[in-house]
Amino acid sequence: MIFADGLVKHFSATDGTLVQAVDGVSFSVAPGEMVGLLGANGVGKTTTMRLLATLLRPTAGTASIDGCDIRTDPLGVRRRMGYLSANTGVPDRLTPQEVLRSFGRLHGLDDEAIAARVAQLVATLGLTSCQHRPCGRLSTGQRQRVSLGRALVHDPPALVLDEPTSGLDIVGARDLLDLLERLRDEGRAVLVSTHRLHEIERRCDRFLIIDAGRIVGQGTRAELAEGPGGLEEAFFAAVGQRGEA
Amino acid sequence: MNGERRRWRAISAVMQRDLLEFVRDRRTLFVTLLMPMAMYPVLALASTLGLRTALSDIEARQAPLPLAVALTGSDAAAFARRIEEATRSEKGSSPGWPAGLAVNICDRQAAQELLDEGKMHAWIELPSGSTAALDGQTTVPIEAHISAVKPLDGRRRDHLVAVMEAVARAARQRRMAAEGLPTSVLEPISLSFVGGPKTDAPASIEGIVPTAAGGVLVLLALLTATGAFYPAIDAIAGEKERGTIETLLIAPASTGEIVTGKFLAIWAVTLATLLVNAVSIAATAAVLVRLIPAGFDLGIAGSQAAVAAGVTVAAFVGLAAVAAALCLAVTSGSRSGKEAQNTLTPVILLVSGLAGSALLPGTGGTAFAAVPFAGQVFLARESLSEVGFGTIAAHLAVSLVASAGVAGLLLRGAAAAISDEELLFRGPDSAGGLFTRPAAREVPTPMQGFATALVAFAGLWYAQGMAPNDLARAIPVQQAALMVPLVAALCWQRVDPRRTFGLTLPGGHRWPLVVGGGLLAGAGLFVLMAAATLTLRGTHLSGAARDLAERIMTLLLARPWMGWVLVAVLPAACEEVFFRGWLLAAFTGEKPGRRRAVVAVLLQAAAFSAFHLLPERMPQTFVLGLALGWMTLATRSLLPAVAAHLAHNSVPLAVVHLTADREGTQLLAGDPSSLAGWLVAAAAVAASAGLAVVNTGRRT
Repeated sequence: MIFADGLVKHFSATDGTLVQAVDGVSFSVAPGEMVGLLGANGVGKTTTMRLLATLLRPTAGTASIDGCDIRTDPLGVRRRMGYLSANTGVPDRLTPQEVLRSFGRLHGLDDEAIAARVAQLVATLGLTSCQHRPCGRLSTGQRQRVSLGRALVHDPPALVLDEPTSGLDIVGARDLLDLLERLRDEGRAVLVSTHRLHEIERRCDRFLIIDAGRIVGQGTRAELAEGPGGLEEAFFAAVGQRGEA
Repeated sequence: MNGERRRWRAISAVMQRDLLEFVRDRRTLFVTLLMPMAMYPVLALASTLGLRTALSDIEARQAPLPLAVALTGSDAAAFARRIEEATRSEKGSSPGWPAGLAVNICDRQAAQELLDEGKMHAWIELPSGSTAALDGQTTVPIEAHISAVKPLDGRRRDHLVAVMEAVARAARQRRMAAEGLPTSVLEPISLSFVGGPKTDAPASIEGIVPTAAGGVLVLLALLTATGAFYPAIDAIAGEKERGTIETLLIAPASTGEIVTGKFLAIWAVTLATLLVNAVSIAATAAVLVRLIPAGFDLGIAGSQAAVAAGVTVAAFVGLAAVAAALCLAVTSGSRSGKEAQNTLTPVILLVSGLAGSALLPGTGGTAFAAVPFAGQVFLARESLSEVGFGTIAAHLAVSLVASAGVAGLLLRGAAAAISDEELLFRGPDSAGGLFTRPAAREVPTPMQGFATALVAFAGLWYAQGMAPNDLARAIPVQQAALMVPLVAALCWQRVDPRRTFGLTLPGGHRWPLVVGGGLLAGAGLFVLMAAATLTLRGTHLSGAARDLAERIMTLLLARPWMGWVLVAVLPAACEEVFFRGWLLAAFTGEKPGRRRAVVAVLLQAAAFSAFHLLPERMPQTFVLGLALGWMTLATRSLLPAVAAHLAHNSVPLAVVHLTADREGTQLLAGDPSSLAGWLVAAAAVAASAGLAVVNTGRRT
């Protein structure tokens, strides 16, 4: 469903040097699978997610969502993917209803389908009480749920979520992750990145550990955390191995 | 859902979403709706009060001031009676007449003392028998001594002259009566007005509407453009700050569709601003008309005013579109609301400058109607004049088509900028400080080109005002105004000089041939464009253009070789390095496509023509700039353009030198008789052949 093959992304720094933000990343996420992308800040998680979301063009390599190539069919990718990041916001002066409706129209849904889908999402995401309130007056958790609703309004088979729990309190984060598990159980492919390992340690089916733009370890929790230290020790071990190399 | 329907549904979704945001923003509502509603009444009130104050002031200044005059001599008493009779008979003939006039009859000593003490403004010593002489046939010499303590000011001096003229008129009538001649001998015509309403309005402000409309139209252009200001910031920079632009960019809509949707929303707000402004102007005008005295000539009929209003609104719909697209394009290149505000401020200045240029004398015509912001103001003013409706309709069509074209180009730029990775995410290391020297590049960035051009233009403008009249010093100063910012920019931004300034030989070993082609093309183009200018504009030149031609003539006749270096060699070198080197490279970019190359050539040619400052020369320099830009891009060398520019500027000098008399001015200043048909035909052949030869040096 989500497939990356040798993704590379270079940026030009102000001093003229090239920065390799992503350096040959390859992985896949199957339908009904939730994969966690683990890494510290600034190691290439967000750039990888943005490449998948077609917000950035890869320097080399490619990726596809549900068979649509990010280079040749970006509109197809956007129709089949829901994207959410810690930075994606919601319009302050629109209500959750209006946000979901406008994105339904952008995704080409007809008015009837939009009405049904919005009602379903409002109920599922627990936005009933605030659906007519401007988003600028909502709490951080409510705004993040509106964002998730926006990413789900077209019922995409794949979800790419970049640190979706950032800024949420422990209750809000747990609710959001519970919801992601339900979406995974419905058959969606979910790629979720975070640097807070404990949140997703027991929820993801597999993990990818990224450091300095490269995948330095991957596998199930059992495969990665063979020792007593759990996933956290596995993470540091993977990063350390790359450092020694 | 088919592709076209899906496309419009996406555009409409973005438009509706943005419109909803705009109408819920109090700041936007204030600027677009409330401010215009209050602005015109306040301005009208202030103008009316100001006008009344000014008129009262003028009247007060025109009224004579009290005057105290001492008369001495044996005829003083009799002369005083003549003054009294004359001023009484002319009472009411002009406002304020007669003003307080105090006549003191005394002896010489007393008069001198009164004058020394400042109690009298003047002392007139009348010669003996002067009163009787008034009735005779001689001229009476009268000397008025002025007080050193209390000098006679201009208005009192005029008062004294008027008093003496009144006495002289009365004396003239007596003399004519004595000779048996009727006073009609001195009044061959008596004019009186019959019928029509009587007007008390001062002649100085009659027919003021077409004149005053110019200022209102510039304000209307400015306020209409301002209507796009906040929505554009909100639509792009605001979305970036809120993190919502990403959500749009990951929707299944192209950047063109997103930008079109946003443009339509901003245009709608700008049109609302235009509408409110138009209604406010109409309502304010209606109030002002009621305040005008009966019979006051506004200088425009009611039906003409209705046509003018229609034409103005139609033209300003195009202006609103350009303003919306321009603000959107500028804010698309901004990373934050603050940055967008900073970059939009010069845009408002640009709008003011362009709109104001339509008020300059000598501007107008079909080509001018196509200039954004200036063309619409010109068109609205033209519709208030006596010009036929056919001409106005043609100019309106040109204006609307040009507005659509300009808006389309700007939206293409906005679509390219909105998803620019650097602008969207800044990149990992792009947040360098202000004084961090940027990384070396092959060619400058468009912004660096634009900024350098802006500084150079300002420098040239100031140099123009401060440079000496002597061209031998003025031309180097003007060229230095171009070169100084360029050198500064080069010190800051390291570029590849070979690539930026085209430092290669065109056509390899055939380069002398290609350069020769440039020379031929430049010379031919000069003659062709001079002929075209004469055909289109005639021989009329502004004072500034004629003055420049005269100064060039003077320089050439006095010092021919220095004149050639200053008028041809120096500009060919400096201007080509600046415009076809730095600026063209900046606008073309490192990997130019065909469209970008076309836009770059157009932009640098526009800048090149603007830098010549004289409106008459702009069309000619624009066409020359296009040809030179094409030569540089085609050959990837600056040499053909330098050669063509050199030849272009040398032709008129050669003509002057060869004729070696004032006839050369005919060609410089423009006389159709100087350009024979064979000359134009020869020039066309030379230009075509030259361009064809340059094309042989083309590099793919």
